Amino acid sequence: MASTTPRSGQPNILVRAAQLIFDTRFLGVIAQIAAVVLVVMFFSWVIRNTTANLDKLGAAQFLCRDGTSSFRCAFDFLQSDAQFDISESSIDYAPSDSYWRALAVGAVNSIIVIAWGIVLTTILGTLVGIAQLSPNWLIRSIARAYVDIFRNTPLVLQLVFIFFVFFAFFLPNVDETAGVLGLPIYLTKRGVFYPSIVTLSSAAIFIAFVLLGLVQAQLLWNFLARREEQTGQGSNRLLWALLSFAVVVVIGWSVASSRPSTHGIMVPNSLRVNDFDGLETVIRNRFSVNGIEDLQARLDAWEEVRAAIEAGDLIVDGAPVTLAMVDDGSVTLDQIARRLNTGPLITPALVAGGALKICAIRDTKAFLNFTAQLDRAGFPYTVNFNNRASDATAAYADGECEIYIADLTRLAAERDLLESGGAHTIVEIDEPPLFLSIPRLQGFNFVGGARLTSAFAAVLIGLVLNTGANVAEIVRAGIQSVSKGQTEAARALGLSENQRLRLVVLPQALQVIIPPQTSQYLNLAKNSTLALAVAYPDFWNVANTTINQSGRAIQLMLIVMGSYLALSLIISAFLNWYNARIKIRER
Amino acid sequence: MAAFVDNIRAVLNGENSKYHVNWRYFLQDNITGSAWQTLWIIALAAFAVWFTAGQLRALPISTGLILLVWLGTLLLMARNELVKKHSALTLWLQNNLYSSVSNVLITLVLGLGIIAAVWGFLNYALFNASFSLDPAVNAEVTNFGREGARWGAVRANFAGLMLFRMQREMWRIWSTLAMLVVLAIPSFFIYRNDRHKGTWYRQLLTLSWLFTPYMAFYFLRGFGPAGQPFRFAGIFYALGAVALGVAAGVVQRRYGEGRGETMPWRLLNPLLTLVQYVLAPLLVVYALSVFAGSGPFYRLQVDQMWGGFLLTLIISLFSIVVSFPFGVLLALGRRSQIQGVPWWVTYPAAAVITFWLLRDAPATAAEARTLLGQALVYWPVLIPLIAYLFQNTFKGNVVAAFCTLYIEVVRGVPLITLLFMSIILFPIFLPPNIEIIDTWRVMAAFTLFSAAYLAENVRGGLQAIPRGQYEAADSLGLGAFNKYRLIILPQALRIVIPAIVGQFIGLFKDTSLVFLVGLFDVLEFANRISTQPDWLTIRTEPYIFLLFIYFIGSAAMATYSRYLERRTGVGER
Repeated sequence: MASTTPRSGQPNILVRAAQLIFDTRFLGVIAQIAAVVLVVMFFSWVIRNTTANLDKLGAAQFLCRDGTSSFRCAFDFLQSDAQFDISESSIDYAPSDSYWRALAVGAVNSIIVIAWGIVLTTILGTLVGIAQLSPNWLIRSIARAYVDIFRNTPLVLQLVFIFFVFFAFFLPNVDETAGVLGLPIYLTKRGVFYPSIVTLSSAAIFIAFVLLGLVQAQLLWNFLARREEQTGQGSNRLLWALLSFAVVVVIGWSVASSRPSTHGIMVPNSLRVNDFDGLETVIRNRFSVNGIEDLQARLDAWEEVRAAIEAGDLIVDGAPVTLAMVDDGSVTLDQIARRLNTGPLITPALVAGGALKICAIRDTKAFLNFTAQLDRAGFPYTVNFNNRASDATAAYADGECEIYIADLTRLAAERDLLESGGAHTIVEIDEPPLFLSIPRLQGFNFVGGARLTSAFAAVLIGLVLNTGANVAEIVRAGIQSVSKGQTEAARALGLSENQRLRLVVLPQALQVIIPPQTSQYLNLAKNSTLALAVAYPDFWNVANTTINQSGRAIQLMLIVMGSYLALSLIISAFLNWYNARIKIRER
Repeated sequence: MAAFVDNIRAVLNGENSKYHVNWRYFLQDNITGSAWQTLWIIALAAFAVWFTAGQLRALPISTGLILLVWLGTLLLMARNELVKKHSALTLWLQNNLYSSVSNVLITLVLGLGIIAAVWGFLNYALFNASFSLDPAVNAEVTNFGREGARWGAVRANFAGLMLFRMQREMWRIWSTLAMLVVLAIPSFFIYRNDRHKGTWYRQLLTLSWLFTPYMAFYFLRGFGPAGQPFRFAGIFYALGAVALGVAAGVVQRRYGEGRGETMPWRLLNPLLTLVQYVLAPLLVVYALSVFAGSGPFYRLQVDQMWGGFLLTLIISLFSIVVSFPFGVLLALGRRSQIQGVPWWVTYPAAAVITFWLLRDAPATAAEARTLLGQALVYWPVLIPLIAYLFQNTFKGNVVAAFCTLYIEVVRGVPLITLLFMSIILFPIFLPPNIEIIDTWRVMAAFTLFSAAYLAENVRGGLQAIPRGQYEAADSLGLGAFNKYRLIILPQALRIVIPAIVGQFIGLFKDTSLVFLVGLFDVLEFANRISTQPDWLTIRTEPYIFLLFIYFIGSAAMATYSRYLERRTGVGER
């Protein structure tokens, strides 16, 4: 029987077509083809527009050295001179360096901010997170208020507030500042000045000895521990380890110090200084004192006298003495000393007038080393700063100062340049492997120590406070996620609060803390680009200047976005690895 | 009182009375437990004494008062503890302020510190402050913002901070606000009560809310050229468009309902939905804009006019709303599990493309001068790697790969680079004859940015939906579109509402970045106050004001989000 109807179970063509259309696999293929086509169309559209725009702007974007224009020369401009200055850099940089170099300076600056930011954020966030769970209501409330304020206001506003209000308005000028809590840490409008450890040429040897000491102390510790386990006899492991470490460090210090010094001072022969102690003779003769201690004692005595004079307690010839009368010489210091029956006196103004005058090249290690030694011995001195060696030499030759401090090799070279080279002596000064350089006010600036510029400090403080608030919330949630039973169990085992936190709560809380912490670190890294708002030359700021200077927007945007993507990937890869490592292995 | 003194004496003498205190245990618990504890208590006590003495000199009255309160409450608590009869107050004091010796000292120090800080701030912000608009008065009152605030700087610039130049077009602002108020008042009653669910007026209200952003936009920006009379015809066009939408709705409900899985309706229903929810609204908006853009609502130069807090609100609201559909699509795309490209297509294709692109690489590399340039010539060697990742991570799923790539790239770069890209690169990427003003470009950048973050939030919601829901939808025979529209998305979106509010708070704060690309937002206006002749160098007061505004805005939204979280019962199923 001939029949045109389809076999039963075989739907008609329309239905079959519909089945095909609504089949998920078919739809999937269509969707993917559509996605590819759309993306390719979009990018070809963008590229076509870009080429058209660039043609209109001129092909300078991709100019090669030989005058032709090609995409392969897109990054050649990086080798041209940057011609802009960067306000702070950890590596050598001058405007005559290439764009490459400028970007590297920015990258290093960014990495410094991000690395310090991550460390400090972790500390602050953990502390505040724990403080939020404190049994003390006030601590809890302050932590809560801090978190709320910093989480609910924009970071960039916090940054400009810290930079323009806290640093530029609130903090004192450099010459009006007092140390924080009596320490030589100075918060000023120009930034933060703080003591720093300066490493000199023999520091590597000393540090090698310190590392050696650490290794052998650890070995000794292990050895003693093993013996203790084997014999059951106790021994003072800590004492032996520390003692052996100290011995190695002391040996290291003496070995490193015995290396010939590379620092020296040049003085005129007329000063008759042949070694460091010779300087004291100069001071002794100049102020007619018996030594530095004597000078200091006279200054201290003057301080008391000055207080008496200011209070109007000192009466000579029936009239109270004023400071002005002392200054113009109508009342001599000897008179005052006799009258008040104090020891001999000297005023700071006199000391400043007769202080050692030093010529130095700004920020050289020889200068920091020498002034640190002068500070320790208590010598009065004034500094004539120079940016270049030639300026310092000229100042010395003109007699603007009596001591020229620099490296020995440089001094020898500069002495040869002087007209009367034979009339000057070069004196070697001690060069310790490393020393603590403490900032000291000289006129309107600090000498020695290290400085955080206000821009850097503002960026770092802002990032740390802002991210710290988020981290605090994460830490709090993490700690709270550990069930109460764990705490009670730990207490039942007799663990101390400290042990409980370290051995029971933290390992479990870390599981919860690490993943969101990762994204906070990423946020910190990305937010460091807001340094632009306070003109700190981070990577993005330098790249932005480079865009304005060179006009190569596309290339630089590629570099910048690629770099931050890479950084994000690196940070998250590292934290993923760490997260996998600390994961509690469940049985 | 006498009994109290007796009690104290009994306690101090350690007599075997009923108020006996074991001092040894007390000391061991609080002070002599370990060497560190002792050191800590000694240091803390020394600091507390030093700090209190300093505060007593600086602020004798308030410090004395605090000391008295501290001592009084401490004694009261100790007494109640001894007689084992706590009131609610002393119990709270014991648990929260005086739980140990170290906490007693910390409470004193922090109490004094807080008082000093609050007192200092009040002095600055209120007692020593000047509210005068007269710069001469301010010059006498204060010195560099240290001794007292000069709020006159904020008062004089309040309108500018809020609206920038739109303060000259107050009438547009009032119109927008009036529209919002007119809709908000009935909403307050109608949405609160489930009695109105599904009624025509509630649907009308919802529809009106959907139109509000568009209308606000036309009010604030304007539409036609200046000097045009009102064109009332626009209203009639709008009514026509409404009729079209209604007609589509009626047809769909009358005939299409329940036949969604049979042939003509399977195609027609989505079309009718499109007409109702997309086409008709667009027509209505266009028609109404013809009306709203005429008359006094002529078109403004947005880059010159919009600014201040208004711009902040517009950018954050616009980007969160517009990025919403993109975000949902990106999230769905990233999670899609459609059949991928098989490996035997990917790898040969990758190989062919790689070799084709590398055919004259060595010659080109020889000409490139920089190392980066030379390396870049060989970029096609990455294609096999990409192909491998594509096959391995995404199982050959192109859609998921593109969505993931977009999301991760946008989330991996700093927002500010996206903003600069919108300002510097968008003009290069667009056709030469098209010019788009800065404000729109920045808003586009924020939308692209927001979409990526929103996608991650929505993905979190989708992941939280149990598999059973998907299977239930499948077993009901629903297609993919209806499955997500009716079953999955309503649940997933409800879960992520708090996260989306959180994201909106983030956007609200991030909009303060736009001043870096030259838009006149509230922060830029605050910066410029310090250059006004009357208020030279004043930055502190405007910044404090901004901190206050942002804090209030964000904190209010965060509170609302927590309320929503409670009300929608997220986390409790």
